[in-house]
Amino acid sequence: MIKFLNPSYVFKLSGKLLNIFKTFLPPLVIVGLIFSLFLSPKDYIQGDSVRIMYVHVPSAWISLISFVAISFFCILNFLFKLKNVTLIYKSLAPIGLTFNIIAIITGSLWGQPTWGTWWAWDARLTSMLVLMFFYIAFIFSYKFITNSERSIKACAFISVLGLINVIIIKYSVEWWSTLHQPSSISLTNETTVHFSMLVPLGLMVFALFMYVAVIFLMKYRIETIRIKKKSIKKI
Amino acid sequence: MNLEIFIMNGYGIYVWSSFAFTFFICLFLYLKTKKTLKKLEKDFVKEAQNLPEKQFEDVKRQKIAKEILISQSRS
Repeated sequence: MIKFLNPSYVFKLSGKLLNIFKTFLPPLVIVGLIFSLFLSPKDYIQGDSVRIMYVHVPSAWISLISFVAISFFCILNFLFKLKNVTLIYKSLAPIGLTFNIIAIITGSLWGQPTWGTWWAWDARLTSMLVLMFFYIAFIFSYKFITNSERSIKACAFISVLGLINVIIIKYSVEWWSTLHQPSSISLTNETTVHFSMLVPLGLMVFALFMYVAVIFLMKYRIETIRIKKKSIKKI
Repeated sequence: MNLEIFIMNGYGIYVWSSFAFTFFICLFLYLKTKKTLKKLEKDFVKEAQNLPEKQFEDVKRQKIAKEILISQSRS
């Protein structure tokens, strides 16, 4: 476990994992797209527009999970001042923001044929938009605050506030009357999505998470090289 | 050719736009990240090679630097 805190071990491992993920990603994406666009059935109410779910749902999950992970690492960094952890959240934040934007745009494209509007100020949509601002504020706080102590504090503060928003996103469809439907997939309750739709959804979730892993590892290497470059200049 | 695959009972424009948007954003992020990584690796190697011989040897002994130098020499 301790070797995972060793930057040189993690850097070497990231290179190996990157090669493995890069090999498996393209076939996985192609299979996922074939299932989502051509093989999965239409929904009996929403028709073909349900196919948007195969990009919208994984994107929303990625943006939420990324923020939860960022908050966890920020708190860890705030308490224990681990340098490696800073690299992790700096690498995760742009990915989370990207998928947050994808979730909002694809949600809007799904909303027009389903609800008859591109956007509604309902609790789920608004809280997702608020998450986007939290992501932007978070990225700004580590990019533009040069004092590292202050930057760590600002990042921890924003991430904890954002975490409250993530809880609001999760329960918004239960606490308020919203246009957005309640969750169809649950770990604790019965999943209401048919198996024929769960397969393409699972494939797309897997493909997009592997894509996230590729980008994360590349960004992790970028941040590590930046630090190494600074240390070379000091020699 | 079966156009229904693209039209999807009138929902095609929404479905294809969603997938195209996601695909291009992901492709853009991938290419941008890859370009930045390659550029940084190149710059790092250049800066390391500009160091005096002894310091360059010291840098080469560091595990991360060694890894970067190997990956650059491969590409």
